[in-house]
Amino acid sequence: MIARRSLLAAAVCLGLAAPAFAEPQLGQPAPPFKALDAQGHERSLSDFAGKTVVLEWTNSGCPYVGKHYGSGTMQALQKKETAEGVVWLTVSSSAPDMQGYFTGKTAQAWAAKEHWAGTAILLDGAGKIGREYGAKNTPHMFVIDKAGRIAYMGGIDDRPYADPESLKGAKPYVALALADLKAGRPVATPVSQPYGCSVKYNSAE
Amino acid sequence: MMRILAGLALALVMALQMAAFPAAAQPEGLAKHVTAQLVADQQGVAPGGTVRVALRQQIQKGWHTYWRNSGDSGEATRIKWDLPAGWQAGDFTWPAPRKLPVGPLMNYGYEGEVLLPVAITAPASAKVGDKVTLKAKASFLVCAEICVPEDDDLSLTLPVTAGPAAPDPTWAKPIADTLAAAPKPAALAAVFQPRPGGVALAITGAALKGAELAQAYFFPFDSTVIDHAKPQAIERGPDGLTLTLAPGYGFQGGKAPASVAGVLEAGGKAYELTAAPGAPPPGASGLGPPAAEGQGGDNLGLAAAALFAVLGGLILNLMPCVFPILAMKAASLAGHGGGESHAEARTQGLAFGAGSVLTFLALAGGLIALKAAGSAVGWGFQLQSPPVVAVLCLLMLAVALNLSGLFEVGTSLQGAGSGLASRGGALGAFFTGALAVVVAAPCTAPFMGPALGWALTQPPVAALVVFLALGIGFAAPFVLVAFAPGLLSRLPKPGAWMELFRKALAFPMYGAAAWLAWVLAQQAGADDLAKLFAAAVVVALAAWLAGLAQRRAALGGKPVILTAGAGVLAALAVATVVWPQDEAAELQTEPYSPARVAALRAEGRPVFVNYTAAWCVSCQVNDKVALSTHAVAQAFARHKVAYLKADWTKRDGAIAAELASHGRAGVPLYLVYGTNGGEGVILPSILTPDIVVKAVEAADRH
Repeated sequence: MIARRSLLAAAVCLGLAAPAFAEPQLGQPAPPFKALDAQGHERSLSDFAGKTVVLEWTNSGCPYVGKHYGSGTMQALQKKETAEGVVWLTVSSSAPDMQGYFTGKTAQAWAAKEHWAGTAILLDGAGKIGREYGAKNTPHMFVIDKAGRIAYMGGIDDRPYADPESLKGAKPYVALALADLKAGRPVATPVSQPYGCSVKYNSAE
Repeated sequence: MMRILAGLALALVMALQMAAFPAAAQPEGLAKHVTAQLVADQQGVAPGGTVRVALRQQIQKGWHTYWRNSGDSGEATRIKWDLPAGWQAGDFTWPAPRKLPVGPLMNYGYEGEVLLPVAITAPASAKVGDKVTLKAKASFLVCAEICVPEDDDLSLTLPVTAGPAAPDPTWAKPIADTLAAAPKPAALAAVFQPRPGGVALAITGAALKGAELAQAYFFPFDSTVIDHAKPQAIERGPDGLTLTLAPGYGFQGGKAPASVAGVLEAGGKAYELTAAPGAPPPGASGLGPPAAEGQGGDNLGLAAAALFAVLGGLILNLMPCVFPILAMKAASLAGHGGGESHAEARTQGLAFGAGSVLTFLALAGGLIALKAAGSAVGWGFQLQSPPVVAVLCLLMLAVALNLSGLFEVGTSLQGAGSGLASRGGALGAFFTGALAVVVAAPCTAPFMGPALGWALTQPPVAALVVFLALGIGFAAPFVLVAFAPGLLSRLPKPGAWMELFRKALAFPMYGAAAWLAWVLAQQAGADDLAKLFAAAVVVALAAWLAGLAQRRAALGGKPVILTAGAGVLAALAVATVVWPQDEAAELQTEPYSPARVAALRAEGRPVFVNYTAAWCVSCQVNDKVALSTHAVAQAFARHKVAYLKADWTKRDGAIAAELASHGRAGVPLYLVYGTNGGEGVILPSILTPDIVVKAVEAADRH
């Protein structure tokens, strides 16, 4: 019965999600992608096969992103996780002329200024990866397990506010999901509501 | 000196930063995008009394603040009160929000000016004469394309009055209006049920009976329940409606929320409701989607619709495809003008009426059955098939040639009053009625399309009533003439003038034939047009031979060879245009699955998905006239298009859900995915090779 229901739900989601937002499904293979990073190297999800991968959608001008970088919590998590072998990809899907649009140069300058500590910043000005993943917000977070399946998707924590005060006592979903994966436990909260600014896609699309 | 240097360095750093962060160059939060203040509906408050205090936001043009559920991004306005001891503040009363689509996302919020009222209660111990200051910190996210969090420390000072305070001259009315218009519970029963096509939210109650539902929309309180950006399909029922919602995060992994609460906006009113899991009641569906706006059909009662249909039927008599046939038939009735043959005229009138009404009903029945089977058809559906168009064109030509006098049908017109014709008269009249409806169809399609489209969204019985009324209107003039001896005797007596009249009437029929040839050219292209013209020439030859044979027969000869030759040629002509195309090009297809689409798109190939079914007539027509043509095959090869077939011949939940997500209840549906990602492009339900080729080219250009 449960199997049937989830099958049904999977069918529902597949059917509904395909056209506008090919939203990745929890436990399903993460959609493959290719993009240039800030240094101009081509990065592909398959380069990181066998590793845990974090996808973080960003927009340098978004106050919610500002909350996590201004306080240093985002960089601290990046530093800790990359040191432990996790691949951390920060993705900018802002379209040209939109807030937070990155070229290789501006991405590097932002990384230096914020002491960003991830693996690579992916330039997705066309919004291709963003749409593939159904990224709605900055920050919108995804964790892909070592088998290449979506293990977590949603907000970085449970406080959908721009106010830095809200960081106090927040439940850090991404950090907790990564800890669960490392310990070989099922992820306790695998899906949460993403929050933040809208991803600044090219609206003409 | 040092200060100047430091200043220069700072300026340099700032300039560099500006260059590095063009989009962020405008420092956010410096200019206010929202002006906020507290306003009260009374000039004071009595001890133990309540005053409504509203947070008023004047929002800069192009910017918006958010509703309690902000949608896909953003953040609801919040307020933190700092009140004297004993004073209490309630929660915001949220006015119904606006839908604010941003790119592929959907937000709910407010633009322009909004009042968010809060009830503030004074303690019974409040001292009369005191001035009390109500303080609050309001924080709101205000967004245009970018978002800025803004805070405001606000306060409002009110006197404590002995009795009920006077209303505030400026704000009492706006606050009262806001509260009156705000969503309220309205004894609506609501249940939700996850289904293959989405989450069905069924809402029933007295407030929804007869309400205008075309714009109905559900705003959930919780942002995890639905995918906000997806359209909400509306199905009406006798007691309410059913919305099909795209599930949100709350439904992931086979889970479902315990309840779905929110605001239903329908017919200009907003209702609060909470839906529990359960099966939708039958009264929440069954009447189809509301008519599209602008057609104004939704309020059209059945009686009014039937009346219009009768009028429409009357007008049809004047159509170029119909008038010649009817005019001649009516003129022939005039031959019955003399006393004893009135009965005969009546019989013929009734037979004609029965023929046309029954043909209308048969067409309506066919249409309803096709619709029920999932085919996207409309009136004129019989014209979507090129062979039918071609045969109708030849029929028009044959009627025109007949009117031109090339040959006669049955007996000559002059002999219509003879005993021979009267015998077969009733049957003949019946078929004249049927024929008149069939040839009327090309004329009805453009003129009656929207009205009949409305009829088809109604339950079958209502649709049949409308078609019946149309048939009655159509048959009425003829039947009336047949039944009114006065009218009949007033019709001009048959004579030599009829020959002239008849030949003149041939020309509208030639026109109708030419028009149908043009339709065929649109549908099927130059090759089929050439075939049709060849067939038309053969039909003309057959008609001439038939006329020749008839004239020989009239002289007492037995022109067997001529008659047979005419018949064979006519059959040959029809066969030419009906015979399936043999030059069809078979395309390589593979079965559809969402995973296959994703894989092919990852390879960077354009993907063409054909949602089809064996029983879907228009799908087959499209396959024949568009997809199986050389032009399409070449285009697919040129652009390396992957062609996937989603076969819906048998029930398939995944395909049904996919169709529903595009707002379709059935096939055909054609989607073209470009190489650049993004949404699939929906092609029209009626394809031509040109449409497909252009769509494929566009998909590859990206």
